[in-house]
Amino acid sequence: MAEAEKPVEPGSAENILTKIENKSGKIENLIKQFKPAEALQTALEDSPPQDERCKSANWTVVHKALMAVKDVEGMLLSLDPKYYDILMKYVYRGLSTGDPATCDRCLKIHEKLTEKVGFGCILRSLADTVNTV
Amino acid sequence: MAAVAVHQFVQCITCHAWSPDQSMIAFCPNNNEVHIYKLLQDKWEKLHVLQKHDQLVSGIDWSGTSNRIVSVSHDRNSFVWNQEGPEWVPTLVILRLNRAALCVQWSPKGIPLATVDPFHLRILLATTSTDGKCRVFSTFIKGVDTRESKTGSSSDPKFGEGSAVSLTFFQCKEELTFSFSSSTLTQQQILQLDLSSSWAFGVNWSPSGNTLAYVGHNSMIYFVDDVGPSPLAQNVAVRYLPLRDVLFVSEKMVIGVGFDCNPMVFAADKSGLWSFIRFLGERKESSSGPKSGSQSWKEGKGVTEVVENDGENGWVISEAFGKLYGQSRQGLSNDTVEPSKIQGAAHDNCINCIELLKQKGPKTKRFSTSGMDGKVVIWDLDNQHDLREYL
Repeated sequence: MAEAEKPVEPGSAENILTKIENKSGKIENLIKQFKPAEALQTALEDSPPQDERCKSANWTVVHKALMAVKDVEGMLLSLDPKYYDILMKYVYRGLSTGDPATCDRCLKIHEKLTEKVGFGCILRSLADTVNTV
Repeated sequence: MAAVAVHQFVQCITCHAWSPDQSMIAFCPNNNEVHIYKLLQDKWEKLHVLQKHDQLVSGIDWSGTSNRIVSVSHDRNSFVWNQEGPEWVPTLVILRLNRAALCVQWSPKGIPLATVDPFHLRILLATTSTDGKCRVFSTFIKGVDTRESKTGSSSDPKFGEGSAVSLTFFQCKEELTFSFSSSTLTQQQILQLDLSSSWAFGVNWSPSGNTLAYVGHNSMIYFVDDVGPSPLAQNVAVRYLPLRDVLFVSEKMVIGVGFDCNPMVFAADKSGLWSFIRFLGERKESSSGPKSGSQSWKEGKGVTEVVENDGENGWVISEAFGKLYGQSRQGLSNDTVEPSKIQGAAHDNCINCIELLKQKGPKTKRFSTSGMDGKVVIWDLDNQHDLREYL
């Protein structure tokens, strides 16, 4: 059963953190229902936030969803194309953690995502210095 | 084959420009000089070396009307070169820039000088810059009769201002009447596009002046219709490596060149929606390519490659990717590998300059490209039947 959502106002970091917390609840439910692709898409919505604390909180949520994905190709098929570039950014953040399990998963996603979308996606994730994750 | 001629001049070319009759070419061989070559009996001979700049020559243009060459450089200077006998004599143009100049263009041909009343030529200038923005200015040149020129009809200039780019712009007759940097230009910015979150490079106007196209280093190409108070922008994500320069060959077809070393064709459909059509040049992998959309491993002769066939365009990913993904795979060869080369491609390094050539027929079909491989390639779209509908 979904928890009641806390009221959210746009703008401040506190409010964005609250939004992320709400997202986190939704994602956990979706993972429990064996819907990792939907969970990931939910995690990627409204990403990335601008504030550093929010970025970290959002990464935690995205990471949870990433680790729940077993069928990478299936996930990419159902993912809305507008999330490809942001997903690639999170893949690089995952690769930078150095954690073996995270890196292994991110490497797999990197491979399939590059195959699907091409080098341009990698370039866009590297060249964008404004919307960083 | 769309590439009809390939000329290997030097190791690396920064930019190039053709003489009015296209018998000579001027280019910068990635240093502070401008070299002029002439085609003599089927061989390119170096005729002149223009030495005056202190740093890289980043832009060259050869006037079609007055046969003068203008060059700009990272040394923040510009020279106009006049041919006097066997020599090319430079005249310094004071630019008052505090940054490098990156490109330059002579104003459009055929602008008559004022006879009685000096009219102002209203020109739309588009600039791109390393701050990622594309700015369009409405600007004026004094002393030019402009009745024929309407808004939107422009000289397809390419330049930018801001952090690293500037322009020198001349009238096409004898007198140097107009020279400016971004601070001294009589201008009115009519549009600023902040579509790219990274460096923006080549910009080009469509023949009618209604559409603008520019490229970003984030593998994007931007098409802007109805440049003015309410423009219509299309952001087209490029699947491949970023583009450096762009050229309209017709109202509905654009050629982009860049780090994929192969010109890319973009076209607009009937509703004005732009999309990538295909690569122009040959793209053969060095191995027997696999089926479309799949990825397979090929090992042999100590070379491990990942070869992917993207439907029509097969491409070879370097063995670096192989190593990146291969950590869980067996049998990776540890021998030294040769870099995979795409056979049959006209350019084998980044193309950074594309120029229109004089056309044989009524439709624009020929253009030249130069790149960091030191080659100048002439392209002709005549045999590309699938592209005819866009010309």
